Amino acid sequence: MEHREAKRWTNLAGLFSRPKPKVGVTPADVVHRENKWRLLRYRPRPAGVAFRTPVLLVPSLINRHYVLDLMPGKSFTEHLVAQGYDVFCIDWGTPGPEDRFLSFDEIVDGYLGRALRLSARTAGAPNAHALGYCMGGLMTAIHATAHPERFASMVAVAAPVTFDDPGLLSRWSRTPTFDVDALVKAFGNVPWQLMQSAFHLLRPTLNLSKTVHLLDRAWDDEFLDGFLALETWGNDNVSFPGEAYRRYIEDLYRGNQLAAGTFSFAGKPARLEAITCPTLAITFEHDNIVPWQSAKLLVDRVSSPDKQWLHLHGGHVGAMVSRAAAKALWPQLVQYFAARDVPREAAPEVAREAAPEVAREAAPEIAREAAPEIARDAAPELAPDAGGPRPSNVEVRGHGNGRRRARSGR
Amino acid sequence: MWDMWKKSFDKWEDSTAKYLEHWMKSPLVLGPSGAMLTLVMKARAHAQEQRAKAWGDMGVATKRDQERTLHMLNQLQSRILDLEEKLDALNTSKNA
Repeated sequence: MEHREAKRWTNLAGLFSRPKPKVGVTPADVVHRENKWRLLRYRPRPAGVAFRTPVLLVPSLINRHYVLDLMPGKSFTEHLVAQGYDVFCIDWGTPGPEDRFLSFDEIVDGYLGRALRLSARTAGAPNAHALGYCMGGLMTAIHATAHPERFASMVAVAAPVTFDDPGLLSRWSRTPTFDVDALVKAFGNVPWQLMQSAFHLLRPTLNLSKTVHLLDRAWDDEFLDGFLALETWGNDNVSFPGEAYRRYIEDLYRGNQLAAGTFSFAGKPARLEAITCPTLAITFEHDNIVPWQSAKLLVDRVSSPDKQWLHLHGGHVGAMVSRAAAKALWPQLVQYFAARDVPREAAPEVAREAAPEVAREAAPEIAREAAPEIARDAAPELAPDAGGPRPSNVEVRGHGNGRRRARSGR
Repeated sequence: MWDMWKKSFDKWEDSTAKYLEHWMKSPLVLGPSGAMLTLVMKARAHAQEQRAKAWGDMGVATKRDQERTLHMLNQLQSRILDLEEKLDALNTSKNA
């Protein structure tokens, strides 16, 4: 106990001279650059990649991507790589003044589409698993409404889908006296400082509470490093491209168009019902940035037969990057992807399976011919009528251990 | 002692945060805040417009013109990348 007290005060005294923890250090290569964004590919584990389908991480536009790769031992990316995944991540970069004209469509249709196609092509797979966090989840879901065939599965973590919640951000955005056009005209890109102060207002006592928590746990070096890493990330924000912000607030927040089914992007309607890929929505009980009700709507609306909702304790960031997340959530995500993938050793088999899978999304007439054959091949008991189409509520997928199993939608 | 203080602090923090959140959500706070922000933004935009007009009158490209041109260059880059992808896809299907 005395040792702990001594450690607490030593750590607090040396807090400002303490070396800053290194963030986002999992080794990665840049495989694509366009405007300010980059597509990163994490280097595989020494034993090599075990799964054929890559995982694309889509972070929020206004936060740095390394929240998912915070520090060694507290990195979701590192965990995925260690499990044998080929992991890609979008680094949105820092918008320049000219990006005030960058539209929401250019980002969601153009940049995100390219990231998905490149991830799949680079990994030699027909499509990719995508995990979108916060606004990244929203953008991923919007993209999936028009291109579900590009997704082996989609995981939306704390991704807002409906904006009519009574939360402070929604209310503020809907305040009639708040003129979005004036803001964009005055600043171009909406400054991160302005957005950060709005996030602080969500819980004005947060900084005080964090300080007390820091005093309480200052004896714990591991906690202290994690705390400082998270603070580094929390204060390293990105401004929001002006035109994209205007559309985000006007159509998504004020118009609530995605939930209403009237949203469109790049000339295509964005109906959540058009999402047919396996979908998992993760929500957090104490999330005051994205209320869980706002994120849950995704699974209520998608027409995929393979859809799941996972509701966990914790807040918007902590529940995704904490020690508890590493023990509970990350293994579940790995299992989720694995259940919708096959080991790399079985690659030739995958190729036979994957092509009709993609074709079923794109050209139903081709799939009608191919699907019964796959079903018969994969699980004879599921295809008693091998000459007819596959049952629509049953999906047959390769399983992580090479066995096959049936997955029925909820 | 510390644990007791911490427990009472947590209680106080939670109730204060709830109270402040309730207060912040009030239209009496949000309405005037929005109006004030809009007023400041409009004044800032107006000042920028006047400056840009002065430069424009001298025949110099304004900051906005330069930004627009740079954005178009970025769009061109994206179009070229789109075409490259289409060519790759065509070549792949041809070889297959």
